Amino acid sequence: MDQLLKIEWLKIKNYTVFKLLSIFFAVGVVLINYAVFAFNKNVIGKSAGGAMLSSFSPYNFSNTWQSTSYATGYLLILPAMLIIILITNEYTFRTSRQNIIDGWSRGEFIKIKLILAFLIALISTALVILTATGFGLLSGSDFSLNKFSHVGFFFLKALTYNMFAVLIAVLIKKTGFAIGLYFIYMGAENFVSQMLDILSLKLKVETGTDLGSVGDYLPMNASDGLLAFPDNPLKSLAKGALPTDYFCIVLGCAVVYLFIFIWWSRKKYLSADL
Amino acid sequence: MAILTVEGISKNYGKINALKAVSFSVPKGCVYGILGPNGSGKTTLLSIIMNVLKATSGNYKLFDEIPTDDHRKKIGTLLETPNFYHYLSAVRNLKISAAIKGQGEGDIDEVLHTVDLYKRKDSPFSTFSLGMKQRLAIGAALLGNPDVLVFDEPTNGLDPVGIAEIRTLIKELSAKGKTIIMASHLLDEVEKVCTHVAILKQGTLLASGTVRDVFQENDIVQLASADKEKLRNTLVGLGNYMRLDEVGGILELSYQSGTADLEEINRYCFNNGVILSHLQLKKSNFESKFLELTN
Repeated sequence: MDQLLKIEWLKIKNYTVFKLLSIFFAVGVVLINYAVFAFNKNVIGKSAGGAMLSSFSPYNFSNTWQSTSYATGYLLILPAMLIIILITNEYTFRTSRQNIIDGWSRGEFIKIKLILAFLIALISTALVILTATGFGLLSGSDFSLNKFSHVGFFFLKALTYNMFAVLIAVLIKKTGFAIGLYFIYMGAENFVSQMLDILSLKLKVETGTDLGSVGDYLPMNASDGLLAFPDNPLKSLAKGALPTDYFCIVLGCAVVYLFIFIWWSRKKYLSADL
Repeated sequence: MAILTVEGISKNYGKINALKAVSFSVPKGCVYGILGPNGSGKTTLLSIIMNVLKATSGNYKLFDEIPTDDHRKKIGTLLETPNFYHYLSAVRNLKISAAIKGQGEGDIDEVLHTVDLYKRKDSPFSTFSLGMKQRLAIGAALLGNPDVLVFDEPTNGLDPVGIAEIRTLIKELSAKGKTIIMASHLLDEVEKVCTHVAILKQGTLLASGTVRDVFQENDIVQLASADKEKLRNTLVGLGNYMRLDEVGGILELSYQSGTADLEEINRYCFNNGVILSHLQLKKSNFESKFLELTN
């Protein structure tokens, strides 16, 4: 595997798009969290209703693990785009054929792409840990690993976004179409998910049947659903009326979808004409 | 030992049969030409052997063994187009090829010298001309000094000097005992370079063997008379020849090399009331034999 990683690194280390997207993502993670941090401190904290929220600070330990994970989740589209570009490049340059001709097995080729997606998720998570720690310390609170599980949910979400990117890239092969489809799917699934959530709420209110937030059972929304911004006191008040969050079901869905993405990507690459 | 044995390989794209039960064997040390017009299935066949396409049926062996990934690492291959990372330099691309093949980087400079790209080794692949890209692909195939080379249309995109250089290179490699499998639609190329040949047309293998056997010279006797139909009907009874064709208004009888007897043909026609206005013996050439096989 070391050799596969070394070769993959040879492919990407001098690629400008790789460097740019990595920098955008790293800077973006800090900026988006700073924006939330500053907005909460300077706008919400000083607003008329701020008194009720004064005890709530999203970047205090332990909230920082959850807030940073949630806010950074919006940027996961960047590493996913990078993965799509790196894989579809292999089809555009026909190196997906040449690597096999030169002696890689098809299994090795798709394995290193999946490992790359895994490593990018891991690095993204490390960045979240660093950022969360930084903002936590900036907030002046004492270090705590309470709620650190949200970093795990972030990792699961990053992994889902990345593996879905691998699947789309392997299925579509063309960079523009693949990125376009990725965005369209995300938008469409979000729309359907919100419709389903409304139906879930209606069902609960009208019949008392609590199926949970059904929208969270969809492929990308499952891992999204595990991450939420920390509940402030106002939101907590409204929560009783909403359908229950069946955490285990949503987590199970997220894990199952993740394995489906990996299985499908492998199957497609192993059996297709290149 | 056979370097490659193809056993009944077929490939279908929906209803299109790109290859129809193709079988042949490539002996060690030969230059084996796979010859056929565009769309005859040459690249499809080599792509199956290189595991980038899946055969619909049939199988193949490399080095008399069931093919593995390690077999491909021992074969230098240029298949269809030069496939490299556009944003990387020539030398960085070759480092990737060498690493995948499980070889060191020691001979990269030598290979770049061989294909005359050393001075451009640090230029991105995207800045190369078509000919330079093709030469880099040939260079990549030479990495690790493999005993077997597969070249698909190796002179594509090269200028006349480049074509001559590559043909010389192939002959030099062959002289060193390398086995070379080369697909080409250029008859001239196969004639000048190959020792063996397989001829494909629309996915069907028409002939295979040594170039001498496949392109065996025939005697062709050209005949003409004022009454062409009477001549044709008379010749039907002549026997002894392999085939009767009409080319440009002149009838042609094909005989095995050295077996045509003009005097006897002339006498036979005269005795049957046909006066010949034209009677000539010629030898079939490589091109006419190829056309004969493919038409």
